[in-house]
Amino acid sequence: MLEVRGLTKRFGGLTAVAELSFSIVQGEIIGIFGPNGSGKTTLLNLVAGLARPTSGVILWQGTNIAGWQAHQIATAGLVKTFQNPQLFPELTALEHLLIAGHLALKRRLGWQRLATLFRHAQASQTLAHRAREVLALCRLDAAREARAAELSYGEEKMLGVAMGLMCEPQLLLLDEPASGLGAEEIANLERVLRDLKREGMTLCVIDHKVGFLRQLADRAISLHHGAKIAEGTPEEVLRNPSVVSAYLGRAHAAI
Amino acid sequence: MKRLAGTALVAAALLALPLATQSDFVLTILVFAFLQGMLAVSFNLVFGYAGQLSMFHAAAFGIAAYATHLFGKHLGVGYWGGVVLAAALVAAISVVVGAICFRFRLREFYFAVVTLAFSEMARLTVLNWNSMTNGSLGINLQERPIDGTLAWYYVALGALAITLVVCWRLVHSWMGRAFVAIRLNDELGDTLGINVFRYKLVAFTAGSIMAAFAGSLYAYFLGSLEPGLLSIDTSLGIIAMVLLGGRRAVAAPVLGALVLTALPHLIHFSAEIRSLVYGAILIFSILVMPQGIYGAAAQLIRRHA
Repeated sequence: MLEVRGLTKRFGGLTAVAELSFSIVQGEIIGIFGPNGSGKTTLLNLVAGLARPTSGVILWQGTNIAGWQAHQIATAGLVKTFQNPQLFPELTALEHLLIAGHLALKRRLGWQRLATLFRHAQASQTLAHRAREVLALCRLDAAREARAAELSYGEEKMLGVAMGLMCEPQLLLLDEPASGLGAEEIANLERVLRDLKREGMTLCVIDHKVGFLRQLADRAISLHHGAKIAEGTPEEVLRNPSVVSAYLGRAHAAI
Repeated sequence: MKRLAGTALVAAALLALPLATQSDFVLTILVFAFLQGMLAVSFNLVFGYAGQLSMFHAAAFGIAAYATHLFGKHLGVGYWGGVVLAAALVAAISVVVGAICFRFRLREFYFAVVTLAFSEMARLTVLNWNSMTNGSLGINLQERPIDGTLAWYYVALGALAITLVVCWRLVHSWMGRAFVAIRLNDELGDTLGINVFRYKLVAFTAGSIMAAFAGSLYAYFLGSLEPGLLSIDTSLGIIAMVLLGGRRAVAAPVLGALVLTALPHLIHFSAEIRSLVYGAILIFSILVMPQGIYGAAAQLIRRHA
């Protein structure tokens, strides 16, 4: 469903992503690994429209979306979460999800959503119902009425995932969802991602170490200096000599 | 339900008020307060909800005031025809000004300064286009589209009520949520599929159109047009009303409009001292009540409930 060809991003003299090509198939969980600075976040930002590629093609269901704006890409069904949780200060978790329900409403009603400005009861009930489902799926029920500032770091990150799900994406891009989390929170995240996979969601997860994705990912890609150095099952990628040398000195961190 | 009952009670009291007071003075102040309230409530849609500090609001207000008169006079469409055409003109200008500002992603201070520059352009045009606007002398409006203070009272009250209902519906809809998303974190809103440019423009233009209606009414109640309607003083007055009334409720700015319209008439000092006292009251209340009168009252009620 997603095919990236020759994707390159330069910041001045620095090449963050170099001639990268890969594809993602519907229903799989793909993990992208690489040491810090290997261009993972830049890659996701390019795909999600938060940065413009220098060159290359990003085919999403046959259409080149390279250079589109973020909201257009999200509308097309490709949604990204942030490594450092991005939230709406002052609002509760539920309110976050209602805002994130924007896209679902847009897809379902199109321009007819303008009519709901004058009689919105039904539309907002459907939305609130879906928001509660997503909160339950993400194990965030207890935090429903909590404001952004009152959430723990783990809850903040999970709320990012929940907002992404409210967008009803076909492909969800997760930027280091596990970084900074405790063991219990990572186990929780793993459960949530498994549930999503079972529901048929396609996921692209990046992380600086293989860690929890070893069991979860169907396929892995390893990046180094913005280029792909290995691709295969997580185990194959971990055994790949160039991956080992990329992590040299940090081999333990990788495994 | 409680809120609905409260609203009905306030509405009934305002509708019945002219029965209780025959005073032209009181009704006049209330008409001014209602029209200023319209201006403040619509400004708050742009500022308090969508987070855009527009300095173009006074321009929308003043342009509409002049345009109503000029359309009425030169196109022969009468007062109400002029009001509608003026609102359409302001909408068109706002779309252009907003599109320029938002396309260049001007934020916060930069947005305020650039909209102020557009506002000054409009004011200077009015000031210097003597053949049309009579320059700094302004125009005395002979026409009386609405006759008598009592009639004005109900027209102004109705216009304010419509403004409040429209803003309330917008704020409590999916579009209002998009506005809030833009104010609190527009990058996140963007990744969630909210077209930030579009909804900034919608908020800005909707606010300006409501300001236009307020301007068309205000000038004819006042009975004159002058370039000061478009000045930065008007913009600052609007901001003061919103800060004093409160930003977090649709109707809160009306409280600020009431106080700031009535206050100068209640302070019986010489003109110089009056401005000093007025300024001091404003500064003091904003320092003591950062969430405005509405916020302070809500907090008080919560503490005692």
